[in-house]
Amino acid sequence: METTGDQLILATGGYDHTIKLWQAHTGNCIQSLKFVETSQVNALDRTPDKNRLAACGYQCIRLYDLKTNMTVINFESVQKNVTRLGFQEDGKWMFTAGEDHRVRIWDMLSDSPHCSRVFDCQAPVNAACLHPNQVEIAMGAQNGGVYLWDVKSEVHEQLIPEVDASIQDVAISPDGLYMAAVNNKGNCYIWSLSSSPNQKLSTLQPKLKIAAHKRYVLRCKFSPDSRLLVTTSGDGTARVWKTDDFTMWRELSIENSWVWDAAFSADSKYLFTASSDAIARLWKLETKNPERKYTGHTKAITALSFKDEIVTE
Amino acid sequence: MATYSNPHWLLCHIRNSFISTDDTGMCETVMVSDDLPKHYLKKFQGNGTRNFQQQQQRRSMIAGQQPPQPLHHRNYDPPLQEVDFICYPGLDQSDDEEVDLTAQSFDIQMYPEVGAHRFRSNTAQKLEEMDRARRNAAQTKRVNYEDDVVKPESNDFFQRKPVKPQPPLDTDKGEGLTGGSKLKSKLSLKLANSPKHVENKFQRYAEFDGTSQIGVPVKSIKIFISMLPEKEKNYPLKICVLSHAKIYQVIGLVCYKASIEFPDLPLKSVRHYGLYMTEDNDDLEEFPPLDNDEPFSKFGFSHLTLAERKNVPSTAGPTKSMTSEDDKARLAAMAISSHNNSTAEGDDRDDVDGSHNNVVADGRVDDLEERILSQDDMLEAPVYRTYTLNIIDKKFFKTEVILGISGERIEIDQHKHGKFWTKQRAVTYPIDAVAHCEIVEKRTMKAVLRIWLKSASAINAINLNDTKSAGLSVTAHSPTSPGHYPHFSSPFNFLGSSTNTASTSSTSHPTSSSSSTQSIRFKHYDFETTLPTAEQIFKKLNCILEMTSSEVRREFLSIKQRKLEKSQAKKHLKL
Repeated sequence: METTGDQLILATGGYDHTIKLWQAHTGNCIQSLKFVETSQVNALDRTPDKNRLAACGYQCIRLYDLKTNMTVINFESVQKNVTRLGFQEDGKWMFTAGEDHRVRIWDMLSDSPHCSRVFDCQAPVNAACLHPNQVEIAMGAQNGGVYLWDVKSEVHEQLIPEVDASIQDVAISPDGLYMAAVNNKGNCYIWSLSSSPNQKLSTLQPKLKIAAHKRYVLRCKFSPDSRLLVTTSGDGTARVWKTDDFTMWRELSIENSWVWDAAFSADSKYLFTASSDAIARLWKLETKNPERKYTGHTKAITALSFKDEIVTE
Repeated sequence: MATYSNPHWLLCHIRNSFISTDDTGMCETVMVSDDLPKHYLKKFQGNGTRNFQQQQQRRSMIAGQQPPQPLHHRNYDPPLQEVDFICYPGLDQSDDEEVDLTAQSFDIQMYPEVGAHRFRSNTAQKLEEMDRARRNAAQTKRVNYEDDVVKPESNDFFQRKPVKPQPPLDTDKGEGLTGGSKLKSKLSLKLANSPKHVENKFQRYAEFDGTSQIGVPVKSIKIFISMLPEKEKNYPLKICVLSHAKIYQVIGLVCYKASIEFPDLPLKSVRHYGLYMTEDNDDLEEFPPLDNDEPFSKFGFSHLTLAERKNVPSTAGPTKSMTSEDDKARLAAMAISSHNNSTAEGDDRDDVDGSHNNVVADGRVDDLEERILSQDDMLEAPVYRTYTLNIIDKKFFKTEVILGISGERIEIDQHKHGKFWTKQRAVTYPIDAVAHCEIVEKRTMKAVLRIWLKSASAINAINLNDTKSAGLSVTAHSPTSPGHYPHFSSPFNFLGSSTNTASTSSTSHPTSSSSSTQSIRFKHYDFETTLPTAEQIFKKLNCILEMTSSEVRREFLSIKQRKLEKSQAKKHLKL
């Protein structure tokens, strides 16, 4: 069965050590991939050409070829958890963030990937996210630090919005105007980003603190049109905020579950969620209606990846 | 059987049995390097093939063009010599163990691609897994995470890109944040194009998919789907199931997979389907479907067939029919035709068929009985069953016998030594010779069952040693005695027991077997047993008789009918 090409694929992974690929619009599982036996899946991302899927977990980073479903790249001697990974928009390089305090940049163009940059956060890194300008990386660490790092010039800035709190995720809006960070206390911090043409690192301007959830916030993500921000939490909800005034617009509820991850469709009208009830869901945001359920995992789903595209009518 | 005299076959068989059944892998380790059958084969190859060819020539002269078969050594059985080490044809050409037929036992089929069926030793499995891992690893690039940083050579490796500003909203739509945009994602489009897509009704069974599960026992199996068109149904669906899944959950998963694979296939709900044992060629076996609530791990099949359940009543336990599907169909057809016959005949008999007996005695099954005789009984009736009961000899002697009933014959086996007769043997009667079965006496604990047969003088009772008197002299019958039809008599009245059977014929003789006015004579055996057993036998045997509807039976019934009419007439006269 064709797994790439015209198909829209949702990839999910979790505590059952399995990565599943779903036909997004039908909810049918089209492929299951074995992940590392000793690890959950912390994060998933597709290469921009959509041919490969990268997954990271405890002491492992793997890249799968989606045509053959084989592991094409395996990282060895990985220390501790690798919490995030992502690709530069042309697939030139990949970043990984880990609990070894390091964020690394991997040159993916060379025959065998090698590390071209390292950033030391001096605390386990929980999150990293690439700025749409493709050179700045936002990072969040367990010591509560939020960093913005210019990969090109290697300058960085550090902020600590809240002491004694662990930053769980960071996000930068696709229009480059906002940065968000969420912590384990349920709070969400918003900064305004600005930059002038010759500036190396964007300027961060604290904007807002939202008490987004009562418990752990696990992820935050901006919608592709930058008009929405979703925060997912251990309180069993995913909340969607409007970015014009950062008020809550929709609340999606999955009772008694942790909502671990979320992803928007390219038109920002639909949202996928991954939750600890082993079900991934597709929500129509306008109606808060769960349109599809993706059942097949046997344990909590902790990561998902969805690469959509805009079609011109 | 013939192969058991072939030393080479035996050696192979023993060797393979050891290798394939030893879970520790020790036998394999020891034996794999030392293939004794092969050594012998090499040693005596010349002789063996020559010998075989001679045999083959001889046989082909007799049997024409038959495919080569295992050798027969029926005619001579000399002590084993080297020249007698005969192997199968064509073996001398092959040196490769993989294709060497000698390397296999002919009892054990090897399906290397199906893990569930082929029972390999742990060693072999581990080796295979390691080999696969090695092959996969060869295609995987390995990167050391801790490698030193190598700065990019090119200066514009990290390239700052302009950020595309978001197009402003055309109109402020307030809540309609996502509604105003004309942009459409591929997902929205696909969703819009499948608006009627309802959630797969088998979706909830998807979680039993064992594909790529780690740390959970799984089983792989190939499932033929019998509902598919001819062209496709010969190709099984490979599925991998969590071992702990129940059979109905497996059915659900198969339906789920099938609904994805064959979107046009209309599927009913899970309870309409059953998993049937099957052969590779997709022929449904005659066995009932696997029990819905059993865990899948209990079964070790490599192939199963998903088929619509036949209309089996849920109360009926697992049938143990060993007849083939064709037989079943034939029997069912017969049952239906005989049923039609009996109802047609029944109309003109209604007036005479009286309330004389609460035991259905005249072979015509009334409506109530007909309903009880469900299709299932009809199908199960010809299955061989044995019953232990007492045969009643000479008015009062009881001897324990085993009564066996199948669709072809009945047999009476006096397994314990008789009290008065030393040479009691089993007798067998073809079912055609059996005329009727009735319960002549019903009490709370005991019942007396009577089986009417064509008299021994007229049939050839199948008795290996003694055919002249049908062997079973234990029963009190004398074919020559001038009897008359004792239909409603009870031979046990003399015992002083009250019986339910209405004794309407005063002239009946307790031990007489009737001889008919025509050529066929009848005799009967009386058995004493518990009421349920009696009813079971009664039902079973009459079911078989209904279906076969032999000449003897028809004759018997018509005589009985005449007798009944006569006695009725007598009664009227007396009144």
